[in-house]
Amino acid sequence: MKKMIAADELAKLWIRLAEKSTLFLPVQDGPTVLYQPWKDGAQVELEAFNSAISPKDIFLPREETYLHYHCSGQSLELAAVEDDRAVTAFGIHPCDLKAIEMLDRVFMEQEPADSLYQKRREKTTVVALSCTKPDPFCFCGIFDVDPLDAPGADVMAHLVDGYMHLEARTEKGKALLEEAGDLLENSTIDKIEREIKTTDFGLDIKGLPEDLKSRFDDPAWDELYKSCLSCGVCTYVCPTCYCFDVEDYGHDAEGERFRCWDSCMFGHFTQMAGGHNPRPSRKERVRQRFMHKLQYYPEVYNEIACVGCGRCLRSCPVNLDIVQAIKALGGEKVEHR
Amino acid sequence: MSIANPLMPQMATILDITAETPDVKTLRVSGKDGLPFEFMPGQCAMLSVLPVGEAIFSITSSPTCRDCLEFSIKNVGKVSSYLHSLAPGQQIGIRGPYGNGFPVDQIKGKDLLFIGGGIGLAPLRSLIGYCFANRDDYGQIDIVYGARSPADMIRKSEVKETWAEQPNTNVHLTVDAEFPDWKGHIGFVPNYVTELAFTPANKVAITCGPPIMIKFVLQALDKLGFAPEQVITTLEMRMKCGVGKCGRCNLGSVYVCKDGPVFSLAELNELPGEY
Repeated sequence: MKKMIAADELAKLWIRLAEKSTLFLPVQDGPTVLYQPWKDGAQVELEAFNSAISPKDIFLPREETYLHYHCSGQSLELAAVEDDRAVTAFGIHPCDLKAIEMLDRVFMEQEPADSLYQKRREKTTVVALSCTKPDPFCFCGIFDVDPLDAPGADVMAHLVDGYMHLEARTEKGKALLEEAGDLLENSTIDKIEREIKTTDFGLDIKGLPEDLKSRFDDPAWDELYKSCLSCGVCTYVCPTCYCFDVEDYGHDAEGERFRCWDSCMFGHFTQMAGGHNPRPSRKERVRQRFMHKLQYYPEVYNEIACVGCGRCLRSCPVNLDIVQAIKALGGEKVEHR
Repeated sequence: MSIANPLMPQMATILDITAETPDVKTLRVSGKDGLPFEFMPGQCAMLSVLPVGEAIFSITSSPTCRDCLEFSIKNVGKVSSYLHSLAPGQQIGIRGPYGNGFPVDQIKGKDLLFIGGGIGLAPLRSLIGYCFANRDDYGQIDIVYGARSPADMIRKSEVKETWAEQPNTNVHLTVDAEFPDWKGHIGFVPNYVTELAFTPANKVAITCGPPIMIKFVLQALDKLGFAPEQVITTLEMRMKCGVGKCGRCNLGSVYVCKDGPVFSLAELNELPGEY
């Protein structure tokens, strides 16, 4: 099913979608673009380069309460908090959707499945949008991301000549287009032709995961971490980072338990109660993050846990991004070395 | 389509609390009807006290004990100190079991050498109880247990009386230094293992204790001729989810909470030494 709608009519589509679901889309928020629930008057930025923070928080929110407790004397009551709302994730770029599929393996394929994540994923219809204006930091090409196509989308959308073309790829996607049928007309294009130029930063990642298996004690790690400030911003903006914390909030009689994003860049992340810390310094923590992306994750899933979205390049205050790490570890084309 | 939230605890009740040492208490915990869940020796559980938090502990009772789970807990942190302050009858949250557990089938027919230090006896005790309950499945059992002082030994009467009286079983106790009321062996656990000169033939060594003890025990076993495949240990790391997702106990391509905490030395040699 292929439909289209004039770009200046899109607000009507969003009003329709927001009636029956929480509609997340890229919204200009001060100086940055973030995926946020749509509300009337929101400044939607479909053609902007990647959002400051990845849309992973649609599925793995920055914080989510999952139980309430009541205590009285020695007795304790626990009540599960369920989130059953339907969601539409609109305007997700192919790189970000590929990253979400990487999280799917961790949260849904690895037993036991994470019900909080899985329910949200199942209740969400993803409208992916092909890229029009990649950022100078985008380097998705080396990770086999096609900026014009997101294979896992429910609806694949393209902005062409003042129209948004929408192709339903799944039953969920078909239902979405049918829901808004009266707003849409049949699409007039068959295939999207557009040249998207992204850089490769001179990287050559072929064989890097296998190569790193024996390089846990490589001297490169003794230098690479030195500029790290342990601020953790790389992990917060990264679409494939998923470490989380579980904490309680409340008083003796009642309160809640929530989980929230955490960062392996923080010293307390692995700090044990007795005082022992297996990753005591920035060296171990920087190594952990990059080894997880480049070696540990690929060892299990045969794919580097990076989609070249460029967010860490834009956000790291000391330029200790994944491109620098790959270069320091020798993942550079010969002519660039 | 309704799947259960693996982070959601179930209710449990503390049946009683016994002080073992100045800083270790053993809690007996039951679910609504006896055991909250089935488990194997070496597996762990998350205990919840709200709003203090949740922490992971090894189950020290054997699965052959059917009426409750036992946890021997050292008072070192936020959750453990709160657990120490509770009284019998208190309801808490529990979820589990987590981890792989000891390879009880793989070690059948072998002589077993248990080497524990301090609170490190807690996870070993689950397997020791299991082996005694299935005594014919296992060969000779040697238990080397040490602590800083006689007062720091956990499960003292059980170790000295019950275990020492089991058939084909030897218990070897040691403390780090001289104490007025101590007539047994004096010296560190790794040295005692060397002195006892265990032979590796048809034997599996299973060790748990403080990291420094484990380090030297591994060296001692190596000198005695134990191959890495014959040495098993159980790791302790900070954990939040228990189901291989939150990232704290990630070690190379494994998560200690899910793929461990029990590893052979041969397996550990293949992983980053970040524990």
